[in-house]
Amino acid sequence: MTEAIAAVAHDRHGHPPAGIMRWLTTTNHKDLGILYMSFGGIMFFIGGAFIMAVRAELLLPGLQLLSPGMYNQLFTLHALIMVFGAIMPFATGLNNYLIPLMIGAPDMALPRVNNWGFWILPFAAVLLLIPFFLQFSGIGSGASGLGWVMHNTSLDLQSGIGIDFAIFTIHLLGISSLTGAINVVVTVLNMRAPGMALMKMPLFVWAWLITAFMLILVIPVFSAAATMLLTDRHFGTHFFDAANGGDPILLQHLIWFFGHPEVYIVLLPAWGLIPHILATFSRKPVYGYRAQVYALWAICFLSFIVWSHHMLTSGLPLAAEVYFMYSTMAISVPTSVLVFCWLGAIWRGAMTFETPMLFALGFVAHFGMGALTGMILPDVAANAQYHNSYVIVSHFHYTFFGGGIFGMMAAVYYWLPKFTGRMFDEKLGRLHFWLTVIFFNVTFIPQWFAGLDGMPRHIADFALRFSAMNLISSVGAFLLGLSQLLLVYIVVKCVRGGPKATGQVWEGAQGLEFTLPSPPPYHTFETPPEVK
Amino acid sequence: MMDETGKRKQRTVQLVVALVLFVAAIYAATFIKLPVWLPALQ
Repeated sequence: MTEAIAAVAHDRHGHPPAGIMRWLTTTNHKDLGILYMSFGGIMFFIGGAFIMAVRAELLLPGLQLLSPGMYNQLFTLHALIMVFGAIMPFATGLNNYLIPLMIGAPDMALPRVNNWGFWILPFAAVLLLIPFFLQFSGIGSGASGLGWVMHNTSLDLQSGIGIDFAIFTIHLLGISSLTGAINVVVTVLNMRAPGMALMKMPLFVWAWLITAFMLILVIPVFSAAATMLLTDRHFGTHFFDAANGGDPILLQHLIWFFGHPEVYIVLLPAWGLIPHILATFSRKPVYGYRAQVYALWAICFLSFIVWSHHMLTSGLPLAAEVYFMYSTMAISVPTSVLVFCWLGAIWRGAMTFETPMLFALGFVAHFGMGALTGMILPDVAANAQYHNSYVIVSHFHYTFFGGGIFGMMAAVYYWLPKFTGRMFDEKLGRLHFWLTVIFFNVTFIPQWFAGLDGMPRHIADFALRFSAMNLISSVGAFLLGLSQLLLVYIVVKCVRGGPKATGQVWEGAQGLEFTLPSPPPYHTFETPPEVK
Repeated sequence: MMDETGKRKQRTVQLVVALVLFVAAIYAATFIKLPVWLPALQ
């Protein structure tokens, strides 16, 4: 019997089951990486479609298409989907595919948990979206409209199933994120090839190890806050209910204790991969490796002690406001270390400007603008003007899109030939980059001016003086959304064919993954490589 | 004597158990509502 099982196992070795069963039952890190990345890509376009409707409403003053309630649902779904459904799963896909290859491990440490962690995601997405579509059949009052941090409107303003569905979604996403994070920690600490010391690991692996620790610390807080919100709504508790002795500000504290590190959870994977791409296309080694590792840890630490700069108008004591102002500004020190290391990587390098390099440089420029504007927001005196204005919307899109999405795009183009074994259409890739840069800025620069002029966010209608800026911003958003379809075409074209990629792929590429053929075999590093 | 694979499996189990317990502890501790009791945040 044992021999028969061994024979079957041997027979399947290297030959995954065909068809849908392969993807449902796979425990292979590359398969799961592709599933995560595909899921993230699909959700990116669903979340994008929701915000197109929002920008259509904001094209002109007055209410044309959406009721204020529907508007709230759409921007909330956009935010939840983009943060939890698109960027985080895509970054998780990258870690699944790349970490074992980068550290010389045969797979992730917990492959079955890995499969489970992924297959929670589609159910969570359905759970989030169901109430939105049910309202068109007269069932329920729609999806959550509270914003991605669940407290943008009073708890009394929205009842119904939408928020409950969002709460259950948060719990499911939390379980998925935690399984993924624990898997990363165990894999990195326990599965490295001989000779792969911690301080020899690629920065992408370091960034994900730190991200995983952050997830492990903050996701339980977010989940517990969501549980408390659920029990307040249905089981008679009063955690956040001021009328019965609760504290609504407590919800903000708990959510932002999660929410601010979450910004770095989205950004750190990109910060980890950008140095590799800059080094490759500058034909230089990664610059300031140790400095970057220490800076990433410093940012991780600081991210836990600055959360209330999101709440400076909530009536905190002055001493607390001043503390959160200075501690937040202190994050600029390690962040500057990273930025100068990225610039050091390209300084006097033999640079070429292939698509991944363009997106990496676009990342540095746009994230830099997001980070610089992040320096003025925690200023206690200035924050009163900026709080809840379009300045905030523009700022966090420069960090999330200019940082997170540009970083992911750079990663797609950098590793796509490794994943598929085919080179993508370089001309179309560059066109995609320039269209993205132009329309991204056309969308979000006007929002600075509208915000500085006093336009509040989370409103479906606006004063006439904001018309021109909103018109430009909406046109930019439509074209930005359309130009992303080019990415789909480029990826599909690359998967279906194209010039064969070598194992090295890029002339200056370094790392264990580039010692393997493109695409890598189904099983890799079953015998650990010797790292010198 | 345990071989290297056995040791690695043991370390994996220990690490997973420790991390899961840590997650459970943080989840439970959130219900203490610390920000409500910290004078600096009132």
